Amino acid sequence: MKILKFTCALLLCASIYSCSTDDDNSEDLSGQKGNVVLKFDNGVGDQDFIFGTSYNRSNGESFQLETLKYIVSNIRFKDNMGNTFMYPVNDNVFIVSEASGNNAGEILLTLKDVEAANYTEITFGIGVDQDRFALGADGQGNFLAAAQDQGMMWSWATGYKFIRFDGTYSSETATDEGLNFHMGSVGTSLDNYKETTLTFPNSVLVRAGKTPEIHIKADIMKAFDGVTSVNFADGYDQVHVDAVETPIIATNVASMFMVHHVHND
Amino acid sequence: MKKEILVLLIVTLCACSKAPDEAGYVPIPIVVDIPSNFPDMVYNLDNNQITEAGFELGKKLFYEGKLSANNAIPCAFCHEQAFAFTHHEHTVSHGLNGGVGRRNAQPIQNLAYQSEFMWDGAATHLDLQPIIPITAEVEMGETLSNVISKLKADNYYQNQFGKAFEDGEINGENLLKALSQFMIMMVSSNSKYDKYVRKEDNVSLSTLELDGLQTFKNKCASCHATDLFTDQSYRNTGLPVNPKLDDKGRFSIFENTDDLYKFKVPSLRNVEKSNPYMHDGRFATLEAVLNFYDTGIIENGGQVDAVLTKEDGTLGITLLDYEKKSLIAFLKTLTDNEFLTDERFSEF
Repeated sequence: MKILKFTCALLLCASIYSCSTDDDNSEDLSGQKGNVVLKFDNGVGDQDFIFGTSYNRSNGESFQLETLKYIVSNIRFKDNMGNTFMYPVNDNVFIVSEASGNNAGEILLTLKDVEAANYTEITFGIGVDQDRFALGADGQGNFLAAAQDQGMMWSWATGYKFIRFDGTYSSETATDEGLNFHMGSVGTSLDNYKETTLTFPNSVLVRAGKTPEIHIKADIMKAFDGVTSVNFADGYDQVHVDAVETPIIATNVASMFMVHHVHND
Repeated sequence: MKKEILVLLIVTLCACSKAPDEAGYVPIPIVVDIPSNFPDMVYNLDNNQITEAGFELGKKLFYEGKLSANNAIPCAFCHEQAFAFTHHEHTVSHGLNGGVGRRNAQPIQNLAYQSEFMWDGAATHLDLQPIIPITAEVEMGETLSNVISKLKADNYYQNQFGKAFEDGEINGENLLKALSQFMIMMVSSNSKYDKYVRKEDNVSLSTLELDGLQTFKNKCASCHATDLFTDQSYRNTGLPVNPKLDDKGRFSIFENTDDLYKFKVPSLRNVEKSNPYMHDGRFATLEAVLNFYDTGIIENGGQVDAVLTKEDGTLGITLLDYEKKSLIAFLKTLTDNEFLTDERFSEF
């Protein structure tokens, strides 16, 4: 009888203990903040992107670029509980410039003080949304000057260039003709800001003192052969403010990103 | 509701500016009055609260040569107060290294009531407009980064940005906000006409001026609408194209052929003082402008605005000699000497 009581007590303890260890497993993350590094890695199909290298397209055209830049903004994460963490709006706009990449051709954006959670997806915009434009100078901080230094702002009009590709293309009929995409929104009537949502292959675990890395690949080929395929020779060699061409390219560019892998720290 | 937000804002701002020993943030608000005969303000003051220190900074920047590459061309170079902040007697303006622009400098007045700026609407927010002249090679030819580093090296600006903005930063945001604060205050609303329509000071118009007003209402006010004297639209007025400039107007914004040779309808306030006229300053006098509307309009390659086609299909606005004379007399009642001599906007 004593043994039975003892066993019961032991079982009870064990079950209580197991409950409490469960609680320990779903650790209390409130108030914790960590960093996240986004690695943008531009490529073309199954090749790495390299300045001055010529890439062939399935339509017979080829291209090479000397400038490759785009603006990303409004970065936010969704966690496994369905909550969204929006990075602070005033700091949430970045220029991804291939020229400032490391030797591996990766451009690193560091997000500080991200709320700790198990994140399952990321959403970001390419370009600058109408809400930010409507604020005028408010909240732009140093970004206006930074964008101008990077050639990501027009001088003839007041707007950001969301996407900047400069280079040349060749086709059956053209050799080394200029290829220039300088495009963004134009005022309030032509809105080319687009967003993309990417699911992580495994959760990104943001914790205090940890800096997980998210490796995002961008397939530049999809800017031309994405949702819609366009031929440089048909006028898509110079894409600036055209109300038909620019939304097509904006949609294509938004489709060129994927999360390749995640490194949890 | 807006007022509550404003009050809260001021309270928080005050609460933050406690450190008495540093020459920090001094948010003494300036109340912005909307003239009773004006439409609503477009500019959102909630994002840029006007303060005495911010206005003072904006004025200093407006007259500051350091905004240009050679430190010698301030905004005021092409925007002189006595001429409603235009470049007097210049058809088009010149700037850095003798560079010549292709358009006539527009007046700076009542801009907080407008949604788009420049002759072609290239700027869609007042804050961002100054980027165009600051960076244009033929105007001030400078970069924002260079302007900011020049200002950072200047004691006055180190101090004044601190007084004008809570974060005290000398950066693009605060530079442009200060310029906007100055421009928002540049309101011309006290002409003879204004006092007449607001029934102030027993001001009356002469018979000639009243006849001009009547003709204006019949023949001009569909475009030069409201007491801003512009409906803020873009129109092709059938001006012969100057092949030397080949300025396609609003076409350059969207490259849409419907926009060929369209330019923004300008305000007519202080028009007596803002000569020469049209987007390229081709007409030296108001008589020349009215003669053009009477008999000078041509098919210029774009779609000439429908309101400029008469019932018989010919182009123009028929104006008799007396109508022209009275129109000009009326237009001169839009001259606002209080604005043109207001010391708040003067350099010295």
